[in-house]
Amino acid sequence: MHRYIPSHVSAHRTHLTTSEAKEQVLANLANFAYDPKNMDYLKELQVTDLFLDMLTEENENFVEFGMGGLCNLSMDPECRDIILQSSGISLVTNLLSSRREETVLSAITILMNLTKPSSRSEITDPAILQCMLRFSLSESPRLRNLAAVFLQDYCTEEQVAQAEQQMKGQQTAVGIPLPEDSS
Amino acid sequence: MAAPVSNSSGCWGVPEVYKHHEQRKVCISRPKYREGRNAKAVKVYTINLESRYLMVQGVPAIGVMTELIQLCALYGAVEEYRPLDEYPAEEFTEVYLVKFQKLTSARAAKRRMDEKSFYGGVLHVCYVPEYETVEDTRLKLQDRRRYILRAVHNKAKEKEQKETAEKEPTMSSDTATTSERIVMRHDKASDDDNTGEASNVSKHPSFPPLPLPPREYNYYGHKTQHGTVSTEDKMGTLHNAIIVTKQQPAPSSSSSQTSSDGHKGAKHRLTSKPSAVRFVPRSTNLENRKRKMDEGHSLTDATRNDEPLIGPKLPEPPKLDMEDESLNTTVSLIRNTMKQVESVPDLKPVEKKVKPRRRI
Repeated sequence: MHRYIPSHVSAHRTHLTTSEAKEQVLANLANFAYDPKNMDYLKELQVTDLFLDMLTEENENFVEFGMGGLCNLSMDPECRDIILQSSGISLVTNLLSSRREETVLSAITILMNLTKPSSRSEITDPAILQCMLRFSLSESPRLRNLAAVFLQDYCTEEQVAQAEQQMKGQQTAVGIPLPEDSS
Repeated sequence: MAAPVSNSSGCWGVPEVYKHHEQRKVCISRPKYREGRNAKAVKVYTINLESRYLMVQGVPAIGVMTELIQLCALYGAVEEYRPLDEYPAEEFTEVYLVKFQKLTSARAAKRRMDEKSFYGGVLHVCYVPEYETVEDTRLKLQDRRRYILRAVHNKAKEKEQKETAEKEPTMSSDTATTSERIVMRHDKASDDDNTGEASNVSKHPSFPPLPLPPREYNYYGHKTQHGTVSTEDKMGTLHNAIIVTKQQPAPSSSSSQTSSDGHKGAKHRLTSKPSAVRFVPRSTNLENRKRKMDEGHSLTDATRNDEPLIGPKLPEPPKLDMEDESLNTTVSLIRNTMKQVESVPDLKPVEKKVKPRRRI
């Protein structure tokens, strides 16, 4: 498939822009990360750090692909720890407000993957729980399902109840909006 | 893009049209690389995009649903399927939703069937995780995690083995490494299947692929009537194959389904029957069937009455399908002959009473 990409692009454009080339490379890396057989090599190349760097980029594709890569890598315990050490939780949490549904879905999955005893309290922060509660009411089934799994499997009932209370107490809908393209 | 309606009736409710499923108007001369889903050619696959639910578009509307499902079943057991009448389809084509028992099967099927020609049309196959239930999603994530941890664990073991082998080149460690290597190969095989290589499928297109050895986990809340996913047949082969029972799309036959959710259109559920699929030589098949015919249809009748109804009720007793026209003809001829032979002793020839004609 990848060898067709240049011809596809040339069908629409006269040249391949740098950011498009970068997107393709990033997407390829993220897809390689899906196969655990490649994970050792990718770890050697410090690709986890590359993906983390993408999270603060302006280009939404960079962000989305970087998040996809992290979503794929974060189930590996070593990668998980690298992400945690690099303030991954806050970087990923920021992206819960992304307009891109894939980015948001990756964010929820990554947070689940990052959960271990030492990180649990940060990941089940009330603000995040409230966000998940809102997501669980989304029209998007994928978003609803992931949020439901997060709330059911990664939080205690008390935590969820508390977050619900806090939400009822709020007059206006503040906090993290739903992604634009999820509806 | 259509505004979706909130759907709380489970995965079999009215589907919503999602942006990432929409394709542009299909042209026959579509270049191979076109994914057909997004404007851009690049796509990153994560566990959230994949699903054991697939949507197949572009199926020619010439009554080839059974053939389609049989094709899908080559890549792994199909749990459920139904036409998606509500989904926008191109003229003269149909759209189907196919639920595989395993994600790995769906992955292989998508890879092999997408953009392939099928009865004159071109199939477009994509994942539809939107049809998952919360439980489906949960199990999907758990499976993925288990798979990765196992791969990581095996890699670590391999490294350890290498290091110990280098340190102590004795006989015992060699045999240990050999057995480890065998285990690795087994795991590698299952890993390959997980990553969708499934190379054995292409070699024998007419048979379902040989199943993998049992996994430690059965991860479905959905219970078949026998409560298990893998079953062992008389040959001692473990298989997850699920046969396609003859499906009649008539609404009347589906009204007696216990599984009916009151949806329009036929919903087809395939049950796992341990006695259904066998990998036996053809001659044994013929002998078996001949024996069954001699016994009469008692077996079929008994199972029909005792088994709880799952799936569409067949309007008539299932006919033995030998999957060969000449054999089928032979079977029906023999059956008819048997019927005639059986019926003769019971019947007394009806004496036609000849009424004497009155002569005026």
